[in-house]
Amino acid sequence: MSDRAEFLGSIRHRTQAGRYRPTNAPDVAWTRKGEPRESEPIDDPPARFIEELEALGGHGRCVGSLDEARECVLELAREREAKLLVRWDVEELDELGVDGPLGEAGVEVAVWRDLADFREVAEKAEIGLSTAEWAIAETGSLVLEHGPGKGRTVTLLPPTYVAVVPVERILRTVPEAIEKYAGGVLPANVCFHTGPSRSGDIEMSLFIGMHGPGDVHVVLVG
Amino acid sequence: METEKPARRRETEDRRNEGIASGVEGFNERARRAVNDQQLHDSIELFTHKSVAGRNAVLNALPEAPELRERAYRIKQETMANLDRYLEQMADAVEARGGNVFFATDGEDAVRYIGDLAREKGAKVITKSKSMATEEIELNRRLEEDYSDLGLEIVETDLGEWIAQLAGDTPSHIVGPILHMNRKRITEVLSRTAGEELPPDVEALGSFARRRLREKFVTADIGITGANFGVAETGTVATITNEGNARLVTSVPPVHVVVMGIEKLVPRFTDLSVFVRLLARSGTGQKLTVYTNFITGPRGEGELDGAEEFHLILMDNGRSKLLGTEFEEALYCIRCGACLNVCPVYRQTGGHAYGSTYSGPIGAVITPLLKGQGEAKDLPHASSLCGACWEACPVGIPLHDLLLKLRNQQVEEGLAGKAQEIAFKGFESTMKRPVLYRISSRAGRLAQKPLKKDRPLPGPLGAWTGSRDLPPLAEKSFRELWKEGI
Amino acid sequence: MRVALFVPCYVDQINPEVGVSVVRVLRRLGVDVTYPEGQTCCGQPAFNSGFFDEARSVGRRFLDVFERERFDYIVCPSGSCTTMVSHYYPFIFKDLPDERERSETLGQRVREFSDFLVNVMGVKDLGARLEGRAVFHTGCHQRRELGVLEEPRELLASVDELELVGWENEELCCGFGGTFAVKMPDVSTAMADEKIKALQKSGADTLISGDSSCLMHLKGRLRRTGHDTRVLHLAQVLDSGKAG
Repeated sequence: MSDRAEFLGSIRHRTQAGRYRPTNAPDVAWTRKGEPRESEPIDDPPARFIEELEALGGHGRCVGSLDEARECVLELAREREAKLLVRWDVEELDELGVDGPLGEAGVEVAVWRDLADFREVAEKAEIGLSTAEWAIAETGSLVLEHGPGKGRTVTLLPPTYVAVVPVERILRTVPEAIEKYAGGVLPANVCFHTGPSRSGDIEMSLFIGMHGPGDVHVVLVG
Repeated sequence: METEKPARRRETEDRRNEGIASGVEGFNERARRAVNDQQLHDSIELFTHKSVAGRNAVLNALPEAPELRERAYRIKQETMANLDRYLEQMADAVEARGGNVFFATDGEDAVRYIGDLAREKGAKVITKSKSMATEEIELNRRLEEDYSDLGLEIVETDLGEWIAQLAGDTPSHIVGPILHMNRKRITEVLSRTAGEELPPDVEALGSFARRRLREKFVTADIGITGANFGVAETGTVATITNEGNARLVTSVPPVHVVVMGIEKLVPRFTDLSVFVRLLARSGTGQKLTVYTNFITGPRGEGELDGAEEFHLILMDNGRSKLLGTEFEEALYCIRCGACLNVCPVYRQTGGHAYGSTYSGPIGAVITPLLKGQGEAKDLPHASSLCGACWEACPVGIPLHDLLLKLRNQQVEEGLAGKAQEIAFKGFESTMKRPVLYRISSRAGRLAQKPLKKDRPLPGPLGAWTGSRDLPPLAEKSFRELWKEGI
Repeated sequence: MRVALFVPCYVDQINPEVGVSVVRVLRRLGVDVTYPEGQTCCGQPAFNSGFFDEARSVGRRFLDVFERERFDYIVCPSGSCTTMVSHYYPFIFKDLPDERERSETLGQRVREFSDFLVNVMGVKDLGARLEGRAVFHTGCHQRRELGVLEEPRELLASVDELELVGWENEELCCGFGGTFAVKMPDVSTAMADEKIKALQKSGADTLISGDSSCLMHLKGRLRRTGHDTRVLHLAQVLDSGKAG
């Protein structure tokens, strides 16, 4: 067992006892040619988002209204022959109004509240539905903030995952997204979710849908 | 670790194999087997070539990469200079969020904390996501041995790590743990687990693993992860995976334990915008990894999933003794594996030749530093000092310079061996005196006359001529030609 | 322009013709060439093996010998030995203020041969002629510490009847690495084989480099495996096709 004060004390002792100054500047090998440069600005964030997501094997589309977004989710449920869809318990998804039409189509909807065993529900569902706090155009990522009503496993356990995200939540770059949490208090879990789950461990061949969803859809509503 | 099947010889045969005795036998012995194993060579080539190409493509498309690299180095430098303060800040932040913090001086401390916790929770199944820190302390083996009465089932959930675990093998690369296994071998291992013959295709093998591991994910009592980064300011731990296993390990079981090396710290959350971009690009050639996941304490009020208990183990295990020394930069490593992929030595030998959890250039540097030079005397010599590692390192660690310093440390501590000591004393005397230098060069020319090419030579000359022709000394040296007039 | 030649010990003893070509090329450009005869070795073998004291001792001698000379530049036909002086003397003399300053001052005036020709003399075409199809191997110190990558290619591009072709993984080390070649002979040789495989694939009949040490290693392996690929130092190529 080590005592906290003792542990930190020995580290303090080491960091303060005459510091070595490295002689090598780290930038030698990644030689800069001229002035510092920045990435090309992103002109059309929604288009870029979809392009990036699709390059990773995900599916993105941009629709003009909530009605169209609802239709996308219904279509997906039909195509996947889903029996159970699990979704976040958030206002935006209430407004999306998929529960009724899904029910009519024979798809049970589990809303992420007061579940006896979340594992059982999320495991059984063929589709998980959520929204996202932000989306990142540069990488095709969703920024998922979890909390009450916003389960982590909704986006993880079902083989198909769909997110409905208002187009104005698209940020351009990863640093912009990280900057949203600068100096603040973070929710217990934030995830930058970028495309379908994958593994390359077998001879570098891509296997899609390793542990999380392999079938990832993002509907941008603008 | 040896491959099980008899190694197929590489095309070019006549390698002779004695290196000079300088404590390099261990590596040499394993490396010799590796360089003669064609299957291993093919597997390494497949992995490293694809990795290097992927990395180059995404980094070339990021014009600010050099600035990011420099910032990464500066951030780590600042972190290490104030590590005690940042560790304290991290611990306070985690506790403020209702998490538990434990300071582990070594692996033993960490194992005991986790074992006792497992006992307290009555845990049966532990799921783990890939973690070099737990590999380093052999957590699985020690839990199984020291806490055998608990009957723990510890399951690695990264596909590669799981296959390695099933095969009784160890990872041979930080990022691609089973790159040394080809599909045939993987099929054998998984078929044995399945109790039926699986077809040797990635879809079938991957699907089987998904099904089997899913059972473990949803029944686990404790989830253990490493940490790619820890953020002092917020108490956040970042786990970065493509498969989603770390996210499942931390979302489903009621208890989450993080084993984090103290050097994984960064001061501010915004520092991650430098590191996550560099890590994904350098490690796997991606702009961002699929699951770049940030966990801050246990689940909040009203949450249905996520761990109810969060335990952070801040582990030293030899790291702090590098602080403030000329080897401190070794602690800046973010474990991306880029230095392994570009290393011409690693590309010939693979990871197991290093005989350590950490292989490649970074392994050759930190193994002797963490374990002590006596334990890994050969590793600082397992490099041609070409500097490809340094060039690839996203944090700018001058790995080849650190290897040189380690060699120097061996000399200063008398670990280099008498033969070398005598040889370099002789070198020094000769090179300091031009007269002696001229005499030796003439003596060399005379001595080489009776030498026959096919007769084995002693010492270093023999190590050279075993596989390469030795050029003769010239009839006249340059200085003689110069005197005669050019 | 006055140049003090720094001829690496293995060039002096094994490949003196490389030094001769350097002298001839420089003189053709009107450079006043001197050869400080007290020079021996830069100390790199000891340094690479961790024998820093011995390397410092040899290094001090190098500083003494060259500081006595009058020159504008020190020119060396080896990226590796150039790096030892320009980069690694300040490294080993880090804690010795006097030698450190001396080595930094001297280090700024040491130039690798092709670097000197292109960047100091402003020459790219030396009017050389050599028939063949060649690959160029850039030594690792020249590539990474010195960053002299384009210069040899620019010089070779102007050689008549010489076709310079690319080869796979050309950034990979040849496996020489000083004492590495004898401490880890299996790996070192496997690395050479990797280069030779790429060389054969390129269809080149000539291997050129700015470092005789890499060439010694690759040539030793080429000959042992029955390849008669022509092996030349850059200076020899630039000196060819001239009648003195």
